[in-house]
Amino acid sequence: MELKAKGFTSIKALLVEDIEVCRLVLSTFLLRLHCEVTLAMNGKEAVDLFLEGKKFDIVLFDKDMPVMTGPEAIVKIRAMGETDVKMVGVSADDHAMEAFMSVGADLFVPKPMRMEALGPIIQEVINKKKNDMV
Amino acid sequence: EFRPRPPPRVAPADSRTSGSEPSRLAMAAAALRAQLNALLANMFTTGMVDEQFQQLQSLQEDGGSASGFVAEVATLFIDDADRIIADIAALLDQPVVDFDKVDAHVHQLKGSSSSVGAQKVKLACMHFRQFYEAKSKEGCLMALALVRSEFCDVRNKFQTMMQLEQQIAACGPK
Repeated sequence: MELKAKGFTSIKALLVEDIEVCRLVLSTFLLRLHCEVTLAMNGKEAVDLFLEGKKFDIVLFDKDMPVMTGPEAIVKIRAMGETDVKMVGVSADDHAMEAFMSVGADLFVPKPMRMEALGPIIQEVINKKKNDMV
Repeated sequence: EFRPRPPPRVAPADSRTSGSEPSRLAMAAAALRAQLNALLANMFTTGMVDEQFQQLQSLQEDGGSASGFVAEVATLFIDDADRIIADIAALLDQPVVDFDKVDAHVHQLKGSSSSVGAQKVKLACMHFRQFYEAKSKEGCLMALALVRSEFCDVRNKFQTMMQLEQQIAACGPK
């Protein structure tokens, strides 16, 4: 499912989250930051999107999801050669940081993620994208 | 610090407007708005909701999200939590309790409650952990009772909040 902030399509974000209320809140934050948002309900859906050739600038993963967890999906996506896309782990689990960082995530943010935390992350992705285009 | 929105200013009634429908609706909306502000202030000062809930409200008030965003989030949370609590109760009702599944459900509720800013429910979920880690059925039942109690409190407040918002909207635009 794709959502688009009206008039702004600068950053393509993939949100991988099985809990509906968490998906709604985080996707709203991303739209507010002018991201083009795609939603996936678990790690396998995220992997399938990459296998279909979809490109994203940033992917936010919940940790524990049915079918495939966030860390498991990161392993598979990185193995496809997707080394440039920013991978962010998001979880309420106290032990999640190690699980994410050990498999190649760029960043871990504890739940609930606040706009104040997400804003600078998105800005960093924007800056990198501009630099890459130069 | 929670700062309630002031009720809209209502022009004093005079012989031309006293008793007119628009002025009655404006006065009704102001009274309802005052009730809503008092409710929200109470939810915040008692620790029932935290800054995350304020952030959701700010998103709606700033116009970055559709009106009804907070209500949608609250409704999703209520439905989700209702189901999870029922699932945990069913697991604890089994002769042999699958504590790993209890863990997974409590973790899910902790995630959703923290995302909506339902602080007391989140804290109750954190309190739960020691009992399923100890594989204590009795402890889990007590912890579930606390989770259920905190959830019922915040659910009632959210439902009242949504009813007041609907009544205010029915009074017409500001």
